[in-house]
Amino acid sequence: MDAENLELGADGGETMTTELSETARVARAALADVAPEPGVAKPDPIMSAAGVRRSFGGITAVDVERVEIQRGSITALIGPNGAGKTTFFNLMTGFDTPDAGSWAFNGKSLEKVAAHKTAGMGMVRTFQLTKSLTKMSVIENMKLGATGQTGEKWWNGLLPFRWKAQEKLIEARSDELLRRFKLDHMRNEYAGTLSGGQRKLLEMSRALMTNPQLVMLDEPMAGVNPALKQSLNQHIKGLRDEGMTVLFVEHDMDMVHDISDWVIVMAEGRIIAEGTPDQISTNPAVIDAYLGSHQGKSLLEDL
Amino acid sequence: MLLLAGFAVFGMFAAPAHAASAPFGHVSPAADGDIAIKVRVQNQVKDATTGKTKKEPIVGATIQVLGADGSVVGEGVTDAKGLATIPVPGRADYTVKLDEASLPDGSVLVDGAAERQVLESSFVTSNVTVNYFTGQADRATVGWWSQFAQRLADGARLGLILAMCSVGLSLIFGTTGLTNFAHGEMVTFGAMTAYILNIDFGIHLLLAAPLAIVAGGLFGVAFDGIVFGPLRRRKIGLVSQMVVTVGLAIVLKNAFLWKLGGRVKQFADFNSQECSRFGPICITPRDLTTSAISLVLLVAVAFALQRTRLGKATRAVSDNPDLASSTGIDSQKIIRIVWILGGMLAATGGIFRGLDEGVSPTMGADLLFLMFAGITLGGLGSAFGALVGGFVIGIFVEVTTLGIPIFPGKDWPDPFNWIHNGVPTELKNMPAYLIMIVVLLVRPQGILGRRERVG
Amino acid sequence: MIAGILDLPFNDILRATLSAFFGVNAMYFAIAAIGLNVQFGYAGLLNFGQAGFMACGAYAVGMTTHYFHISFWWGIPIAITYAVVFGLIMGIPTLRLRADYLAIVTIALAEVLRLLVRSVTFKKKFGGSDGINGFAETFRSVTPFDDAKRYKMYPFDASNGSVATVLLLLLFAVGALFAGRILTRRFSKEGQNRTLVQGVATVLSFGFILVISTYVEYAGLSFKAIVVGWILAAILGLFVYMLMKSPWGRVLKGIREDEEAVRSLGKSVYSYKMQALILGGVIATFSGIMFSLDRGSVQPDNYSRDVTFYVLTALVLGGAAKVSGSIVGPMLFWGILSFADVFLNSLFKEWGNQIGIFGWKFVSNSSQVGMIVQGMIGLMLVLLMVFRPQGLFGNRKEMALDGR
Repeated sequence: MDAENLELGADGGETMTTELSETARVARAALADVAPEPGVAKPDPIMSAAGVRRSFGGITAVDVERVEIQRGSITALIGPNGAGKTTFFNLMTGFDTPDAGSWAFNGKSLEKVAAHKTAGMGMVRTFQLTKSLTKMSVIENMKLGATGQTGEKWWNGLLPFRWKAQEKLIEARSDELLRRFKLDHMRNEYAGTLSGGQRKLLEMSRALMTNPQLVMLDEPMAGVNPALKQSLNQHIKGLRDEGMTVLFVEHDMDMVHDISDWVIVMAEGRIIAEGTPDQISTNPAVIDAYLGSHQGKSLLEDL
Repeated sequence: MLLLAGFAVFGMFAAPAHAASAPFGHVSPAADGDIAIKVRVQNQVKDATTGKTKKEPIVGATIQVLGADGSVVGEGVTDAKGLATIPVPGRADYTVKLDEASLPDGSVLVDGAAERQVLESSFVTSNVTVNYFTGQADRATVGWWSQFAQRLADGARLGLILAMCSVGLSLIFGTTGLTNFAHGEMVTFGAMTAYILNIDFGIHLLLAAPLAIVAGGLFGVAFDGIVFGPLRRRKIGLVSQMVVTVGLAIVLKNAFLWKLGGRVKQFADFNSQECSRFGPICITPRDLTTSAISLVLLVAVAFALQRTRLGKATRAVSDNPDLASSTGIDSQKIIRIVWILGGMLAATGGIFRGLDEGVSPTMGADLLFLMFAGITLGGLGSAFGALVGGFVIGIFVEVTTLGIPIFPGKDWPDPFNWIHNGVPTELKNMPAYLIMIVVLLVRPQGILGRRERVG
Repeated sequence: MIAGILDLPFNDILRATLSAFFGVNAMYFAIAAIGLNVQFGYAGLLNFGQAGFMACGAYAVGMTTHYFHISFWWGIPIAITYAVVFGLIMGIPTLRLRADYLAIVTIALAEVLRLLVRSVTFKKKFGGSDGINGFAETFRSVTPFDDAKRYKMYPFDASNGSVATVLLLLLFAVGALFAGRILTRRFSKEGQNRTLVQGVATVLSFGFILVISTYVEYAGLSFKAIVVGWILAAILGLFVYMLMKSPWGRVLKGIREDEEAVRSLGKSVYSYKMQALILGGVIATFSGIMFSLDRGSVQPDNYSRDVTFYVLTALVLGGAAKVSGSIVGPMLFWGILSFADVFLNSLFKEWGNQIGIFGWKFVSNSSQVGMIVQGMIGLMLVLLMVFRPQGLFGNRKEMALDGR
């Protein structure tokens, strides 16, 4: 397992191009024939949900009839504020439990799967408000991300010889990822000393330590300065090039247009439109949703 | 006596070599002079209607002290205080024997055997006290339903006080996220202030009480203004703030102790009233009045929260502080009002409790756990939850001291026989804690709380 | 007034302060604080029921002879069993919920435990409010010190046997290592040779401890508990230190910082919190065991909620999330406390049984001295949490982070 990961990191960072990469072309081709309508079935879904509902004190936050996420693609989840995007993330990853519905990852039902188990299945998420572990160093943050550590059992913790070798491999992999995300110079600093953008990068790279198949990013660009945004874009594309599936929530429509292969639009808890970025930007239902909520007017200009 | 106890408690600082003295426990005071065994014989009278236990000294009970070899070392007869002091030659193992025939007619030993062992190691100070309790051989019987009605009334009284004290605790939690472990001290503060005004300044309680309630409100706003407001602005974490409340509770408790000592004190007014009967229930006019006032106050608070603009704003902040402040509600102002209201209600509860059970430095802290049980049951952060939860817990605590006699299990081991015999008075808070844990297991958001409040 | 201060028995005050540094109270607080540190310092669990865990240990050894009629040594496994059960009862309903619930339930359950063991109802098992006596004979007979004699803490004192000399030297060495680490972490500057600084600090600390130890003497009975207890504290400290260096400790620290982040990385936060709660509790039972062995009795009121808060204060004073903090904190705590108490009591006697400033007499009976000292503990806790959450010897970088 570990040897494989080392290779993964080694060349991952260098394949950034402004041209569509091979994987992007494959992903877009696979989605080309999919009808642009809400809840449409995908050729090879990695995640699917049906009838998922969650209400808070009488207000329905999420009511998703059907949705599928195509494997190997970058899918954007957009919608006005309060559309239920983050709640949907929480429901899918086990951080919240829906009132009704079923959802599956890789064909396995995730009902009654605890939040911490989803990471082991290959599904990892980040948070809207970055959760960097402030009083731990950057490298410690990274090492925490590795799954299946022997030394995480307390009785093994007392016997360093049982986990030291694995720890070395994990550390090497962490350093590799830090270099790729250009955080290596901060390696031994407290995560609390990082800037907002660097924290986003740290959170994303820490999530990658779990070897995910599906990476769910909740507003990866929020609070990130424009210079860093460009490189974050490249990093997200890089994930797809390595064979991961990316689902992300975003407000920045430029970015959505730039990197996503497929866009899902939520409003008032429901999915109101799906399609390629081009199809979405001309979809009247989407424009209605943004207008109707009296929010996101600036987004409309971008559209 | 308090003075001596204080010496015993802190003597160990001065003399670490005498490691046998207690660091925190209250050791019986050391009388100067010889080593002795003190025997106290008291008659426990359980009032059948109120369920409370009174202790009266028994005079003229004969006690023998036997040495390790069985020879009589000393003898004594209890005096007017029910106390017999029997000098012994030194620290050694002894057997104390009460002559049961010397007890007054109708009294029998209820707790423990007539012969007791006193070990050498029990002589922490120069004397050891042995307690004997007697009870009435034939009890007056009151019908179960009458007892039940009486407990229900007592419980309602406690419940009203708990509800009143908990509203502030729950609202402060709702609006700031802070669990205030010093809230018990806010209750004590009200009672203490009223007591000082009443006794030291000679102001009648009818005037002292409102003054103390106002002081309670000021105390609450001082908490917020001096301590927690600045902490919030400095963005100190909630866990740290909770630890700060604990520190404040320690400071305040000792300040109360410093001012008034550890004894339970009575107000000068409305003391020792005869209870008047209402059917099976016996209640003093004083308690009836305080209960009525509590009820009126609670209804007023509930009404204010439900109907007034300020009340609605308070509930909005409590439900979702971020959303509330984005809709133009000044959440800082609401928080200040909640502290004032909480402080005033706590002070009121403290005064009423003090009228009932006496004023002591730990009276509020002792209620704190019941308040927690109440707001957990009702739903942390919900004002109505606190009202309902506190009331239910109060009733539950009193009623469970009465067993269900139709249930078998009279002779089952503790605690299973409690179902039949009732929970012993000394452990009467236990069912409340049990409820709290069951609620957390089954429905952690409480009866009236909402699911998303739970992390 | 000034003359009054000069007349105070400074030698006695110094001796009392230094004795408290190594004394039984510092020892049993240190063990409890090592446990609390696992929960509060590393995992961020607000356990307000540490006194309950301590009572588990005390009553386990107490009940061996009193109730179970078995060998004293069974007390240790029984204590651990009690602590595990107590931890499960506390943790199962609360650890999935917000931090407040744990605090509320732990404080309530520790109080329940105290009420149960002091109740008349269960007097046969637990001895009621008198507690349990006369179980410590085994401990007294196996430790190589004479009850009747007094012992100096100074390792080379003639009254100590060679066993004591070796044990004390060993303890002092461990203590000096700790002190050296703390001092280095606190005071070393960038670019200095840290190994050298730490070496010098360690040697200096060792010398300092040695000098202090000549002042301090204990009765034979306490001396046993002190030596055995501090050795135990050192072992438990090492145990926690190793755990916290391991990936297990890393997960715990992560949970303290943000449990959702750790959960998203695939760790069962609930299970780790439970492990931390129980492990810390098991460590704390040894504190109760050592305290009751020293006193030869178990009394329920020694495990009131205030004890938990005092342990917490001692831990915060030394610095949470550091093993050295959990050991040095209690020593400082009792040093400060006994200094304040003896000083105020001496002043009280010196000034004609009252202490006053500008005519305002704020101490007019001696029990008020105790209340002022105890109130000071609360104040200390508040001030530390607000101004120095990293403790007296906090790490500079971490302190800078708190300002953010």
